Amino acid sequence: MPKLVLKFENSVLKELPVGTKEVSIGRSPENALVIDNPAVSHYHARVFNEEGRLMLEDFGSMNGTFVNGQRVKMVTLKPGDSVGIGKHTIVISESREMDGFASGNGSTKPAAPKLNETVMLDTKERREFLQKVAAVGESAQVAPARLKVPTLVVRKGKTNQREYTLNDKLTVVGKSGMATVKLKGWFAPKAAAQINRRDDQSYYIGAADKVPSVNGQPIATPTKLSSGDVIEVAGIELEFVYRD
Amino acid sequence: MIQVDGPKAITAMEMDFGAQSDTGCVRQNNEDSFRLAPEINLFVLSDGMGGLASGEVASRLAVEVVLEHCREAEAQPLLPLFGERIGGVSEISNRLASAVRLANRVVHDAARNNGAEQPMGATVVAVRLTDERMSVAHVGDSRAYRLRGGDLEQLTQDHSFVAEEMRRGAMTAQEAGSSALQSVLVRALGIDPEVEVDVSEELVMDSDTVLLCSDGLTRELSDAQIAAVLREGDDAQRTARRLIDLAKQAGGGDNITAIVLRRAAKPAGAFARIGRLGKWFRDV
Repeated sequence: MPKLVLKFENSVLKELPVGTKEVSIGRSPENALVIDNPAVSHYHARVFNEEGRLMLEDFGSMNGTFVNGQRVKMVTLKPGDSVGIGKHTIVISESREMDGFASGNGSTKPAAPKLNETVMLDTKERREFLQKVAAVGESAQVAPARLKVPTLVVRKGKTNQREYTLNDKLTVVGKSGMATVKLKGWFAPKAAAQINRRDDQSYYIGAADKVPSVNGQPIATPTKLSSGDVIEVAGIELEFVYRD
Repeated sequence: MIQVDGPKAITAMEMDFGAQSDTGCVRQNNEDSFRLAPEINLFVLSDGMGGLASGEVASRLAVEVVLEHCREAEAQPLLPLFGERIGGVSEISNRLASAVRLANRVVHDAARNNGAEQPMGATVVAVRLTDERMSVAHVGDSRAYRLRGGDLEQLTQDHSFVAEEMRRGAMTAQEAGSSALQSVLVRALGIDPEVEVDVSEELVMDSDTVLLCSDGLTRELSDAQIAAVLREGDDAQRTARRLIDLAKQAGGGDNITAIVLRRAAKPAGAFARIGRLGKWFRDV
């Protein structure tokens, strides 16, 4: 069973397990976990089990609830997460493999639909939080590459240019009028393959008339390209690189 | 580089399309709406939400505004875009994004005029095709899929709480599938005066089948089940009906809508289909 460990600076003030009953958090003495501090709202947030997932919901508190430094409205908690409320910290302890944290039901069919109405999770905090998460993810993984220009360099085969800068969301390799990487030759396919830029700025190659190979492996599904990947399709060889 | 390809639209004769919408087995009313505009190769679907009749109103407004804006732009190519131009996509994609942003504003304003006691919102997924290119725009958890070479690919990423949790690695697909929070959207039309629209472009191939659907379909049927129906290669209308029937057999817990698009092998059959189009339009 997961446990909430309430800390102030480095000292542990209280430990509280989360069972089937939700744990309400706030300044009011009616809460299961009382934090007596003016920075904490009377009814600040709650932690509860939702079908085996540990959830945290902020009740629109004045000073907010933070998970690992990001302000949140509602999030899934995992062991090791640090929940900040005022100057206090609640650490989530124990692994999710423990009881109450069994994941999934082993079925491949989607679970029975919930009949509750579709709702919009609409708070400024939630959106800002998601944007921050996205920004953190990007700066960690994509930022160094984003300063560079995604480029296809032709290493083998007949094309109309030796190099292509990928400016568009869709880049087609083939003989067709819309193709950026134009193939030459009588038997070249109209559209051999396509490269899509997704909203996270990464590039994916997918099959069209031909199934391309990336680094010698034929792709089964659209495949994310990394700098240095070599694409082979319709008799040509292209290297995907991020140029300075 | 901004592509300035003119509206090089394919004609309706080259398309086989069909659509079906059903209240399902549990709900009292159908809050999904769709519109088919083969003369400009535009296909749009919306799933409304809100109390009383407002979900129906929201989804109908959404599809009608998208259609109207695209039609108006056909008549007046210089019609300004609503919102910022997106780089690296065609004029047609920009117009589609513009139409979805406008739909957001209209639903938003209608919700405000309604009085705050009836907030309403909607999802939208819309595609528009030219000879070789398909523009896809969406907000919310209605989806576009493509079957190519027997493989089904989801072309849109849901703007839902569980999908975002999955993308950041905090939830597995299985956990998401059984979550009680499946109905929580993080982006929808009508909530804010502005909305961010996801736009992508896809290559169109003769053998492709495209499916637009509301979550009433994808809650009941797995991707594998959907792929199996699309692979049968029946005509578009029968395929759409078959998907709805299967979703209802699986429980039909929500409204279900499916639009199926295919490049028609035989142009002759399509004329007859245009004749049948009338009955698919609801309340037009």
